[in-house]
Amino acid sequence: MNFVGRRVPLVDGAAKAAGRLTFVADMQGTESLHGALVFSPHAHARIVTVDAAEALALDGVLGVHWHANTPANHYNSSIWHIDQEALADERMFPEIARHIGDRVAAIVAETEEIARHAAALVRVEYEALAPVLTPSAALRRIGPATGAEGEPTFDNPVAEERFAFGDPEGGFAAASMIVEVDVSTPRSHHCAIETHACRAAPQPDGRILVSTPCQSVFAVQAVVAQALGVPADRFRVVKTPIGGSFGGKAEPILEPLCAHFAMVYGRPVSLRFNRSETFVSTRTRSSVTATMTLGLRRDGRITARQTDIVVDIGAYSTGGNYLPGSMLQRLVRLYDVPAELYRGRAVYTNTPPTGAFRGYGSPQIHTVAEIALDIAAGRLGIDPVRIRARNLVAPGAIEPRGGLDLGNARARDCLQRGADAFGWTARRAIGQGTGRWRKGVGVACATHINGCYPAEDEETTATLHLLADGRVQLILALHDLGCGADTTIAQIAAESLGVEPAAIDIVAADTDTCPYDLGTRASRMTYICGEAVRKASSALADRIRNDAVLDLNAAAGDLVLSSASVWRGDGASLALSDLAARLVRRGVDLPSATRTHRATANPGSYAAHFAAVEVDTWTGSVRVCDYVAAHDVGRAVNPMLVEGQIHGGIQIGIGYALYEDVAIDPRDGRMRGDSFSRYVLANAPEMPPMRVLLVEEGEPTGPYGAKAVGEIATIPVAAAVVNAVNHALGTELATLPLSQERILEALARRDIPAAAE
Amino acid sequence: MPSTLSLTVNGRSVSAPAEPGERLSRFLRERLGLTGLKEGCCEGECGACTVLLDGEPVNSCLVLALQAEGCEVVTVEGLSGDGLGDLQAMFIERGAVQCGYCTPGMLVAAEGLLRNNPEPTDAETRSALAGNICRCTGFQTIIDAVVATAAARGQAGDAA
Repeated sequence: MNFVGRRVPLVDGAAKAAGRLTFVADMQGTESLHGALVFSPHAHARIVTVDAAEALALDGVLGVHWHANTPANHYNSSIWHIDQEALADERMFPEIARHIGDRVAAIVAETEEIARHAAALVRVEYEALAPVLTPSAALRRIGPATGAEGEPTFDNPVAEERFAFGDPEGGFAAASMIVEVDVSTPRSHHCAIETHACRAAPQPDGRILVSTPCQSVFAVQAVVAQALGVPADRFRVVKTPIGGSFGGKAEPILEPLCAHFAMVYGRPVSLRFNRSETFVSTRTRSSVTATMTLGLRRDGRITARQTDIVVDIGAYSTGGNYLPGSMLQRLVRLYDVPAELYRGRAVYTNTPPTGAFRGYGSPQIHTVAEIALDIAAGRLGIDPVRIRARNLVAPGAIEPRGGLDLGNARARDCLQRGADAFGWTARRAIGQGTGRWRKGVGVACATHINGCYPAEDEETTATLHLLADGRVQLILALHDLGCGADTTIAQIAAESLGVEPAAIDIVAADTDTCPYDLGTRASRMTYICGEAVRKASSALADRIRNDAVLDLNAAAGDLVLSSASVWRGDGASLALSDLAARLVRRGVDLPSATRTHRATANPGSYAAHFAAVEVDTWTGSVRVCDYVAAHDVGRAVNPMLVEGQIHGGIQIGIGYALYEDVAIDPRDGRMRGDSFSRYVLANAPEMPPMRVLLVEEGEPTGPYGAKAVGEIATIPVAAAVVNAVNHALGTELATLPLSQERILEALARRDIPAAAE
Repeated sequence: MPSTLSLTVNGRSVSAPAEPGERLSRFLRERLGLTGLKEGCCEGECGACTVLLDGEPVNSCLVLALQAEGCEVVTVEGLSGDGLGDLQAMFIERGAVQCGYCTPGMLVAAEGLLRNNPEPTDAETRSALAGNICRCTGFQTIIDAVVATAAARGQAGDAA
């Protein structure tokens, strides 16, 4: 292997480090108009009238937009292709605001400063409606009909998923112990450093060009078309560089507005949210409250499991109706559980909407399951690693819900190798100590999917062209979210073609020039798009060898591609640029290849994480002081980037366990954690040293054996940290995040003796 | 009414109009076109807009442009010469760059640290970068890159 398996630096690293990469907020131009939004201060209220007289009187203000003068088409921001059926309950500007931060109106002006100043002058008359602010309240009532005639109502639950497998009754009857655990997880926010931003510009042909940091240009096109009630081909969508997403930019938020304003005014329009707006008016991770009941034999074998989970999806459906099913799908792929009962319900509340966030339900359900299993292990008196080893799936296991083969599932290798590297047995045996700081260690496992098969037609098409200068152009709607997917894909292409990864020109994802692709979601980039690129690059390599036969006077089968040249066995070679020039002179088309890859499998990626913590019994603060993450990645195309994904996943997961919560006030629906000063992340000083172990046993269906890592990186983290805290304190804490207040409360309740001076 | 602000930016003397309430970050991005400088929160919490102001790392969103009269400002654009600077190159080599949005501020904050403390420990580096949020890397590769750059500069200095 020349490039696969190498720590190749980012192909766009120099541009990023120099500050030369042009993000959408950097696309400046005096011709651009700017918008600023007015947000609802009420969790649930009818917008009676908008008085913008004062705002419109300002110099430089062009107009005000609200439900009375904006297309009233309902849409669902989570659709990923045109004509996809989904509960369409969102509007550019609703008649009824459904959460604090909902879009009420917008001002369009010559500059952002003028627009923001004018937006502050808009007066809105509201008619307050009763809000539903907690999932328990939502379940008790089939919520208020919110709309005018024909508008979707607030029926709860918006989705329900039930599943039964095996003989749960028999399984629980056969159990030596039944353990029931309640777990709840918070609303967390993506916190990409680039806030949401978008630019739309009329084109000479009358179409609108939408430039946006997104996860699928086709999804943006579909949502904009649905929202505006305009055929999709009126919009060309191009992906700009993306300053972090983590799912937060998967759903178009600003794009419909921006495109609409560009059409109205016939001028380019830029919109960008500030940090607080990004918190309250985009998406968060859905929160869950769950009860998990485990039946266990004395040796730790699970005999039956029952899960009842309620997912608070917030004010709009988005893709939240899929979550109960997604969580089930992820849950049943980790342990070999002979009997399963599951009920998952998604409910609307008058709180900011939720959406995709790194793992799409997986972090929630595995946090629930891994905390519950640890508490069960504690009650049984079994080591947490041993109980997991006893139940983890083996390679080739068939999951019970869809009957899918889990592939080369190396969960057990992750657990064993991670435990060895961490020194689990010895560290678990060391006491917690009796001083102010109590020590604990915790473990958690996780799995995640590889792509959308079989729920979606999981296929993509890659085209590679040899360019005249010897470089190779790749056409595939890739959406690198910042983690280096372009580099990984370039390495895969470079492997067959014998050129440096930097010699692969990846065109920006563009609805006009790229074939349809589902986009960056569902951990499908490397596994799905990478395999299409592997096939196309292999085919292009064959074409290049064939085209070089004449010039090198050798059989195609005897030619090798390397160092940007075609080589004959005796050392004679022809540079690809020279070959291209000769082909052009001869009037021969430059070689290209197109291959479509259609997935027929959805193997599992696996991980086992180990955390060591110290808990301050005086202040309730937790320090994560050591961390080991073992991951079954099949094969790491770029180990440096894989480690980078895992490192970043650990940061998000530590936050999920200990700090991160947008903290919606159950009394009024206000988000208390709506800025970086009130929403705490793990910063550099809080992050432990991290060791990453890669289990590379190869997945036969993945490109060069590779499987996904992007989402699973964060899935086991919170449970590993919480389990370590519970080990340190002898507690069974299961309400996240484990804030200092919650830990102090637990210490007071458990009457753990304060440390001796 | 705008005043004419004169200062040194990345070694170059510049004069440009600035409004009384204009943030230094906006002045640098919009008046001078230095869009390498990013804004992530405009309230001094994320560090994406970090610049060196007379050698000290500051959040340029919390500095009024007119406060910088006569000052020396260094942005990420000032860290490169003909090619990338050593710190930038080390960031790329160590995987300390992912999405690239925090990177300019992170680099400038790290450069500020290295100018004041040429041999920072891991803990000192973490502390110095505590005001710079990165959501992609988990910070480990960033810390490694800063410490490695310090070591490389130290060796270069010894050899000289």
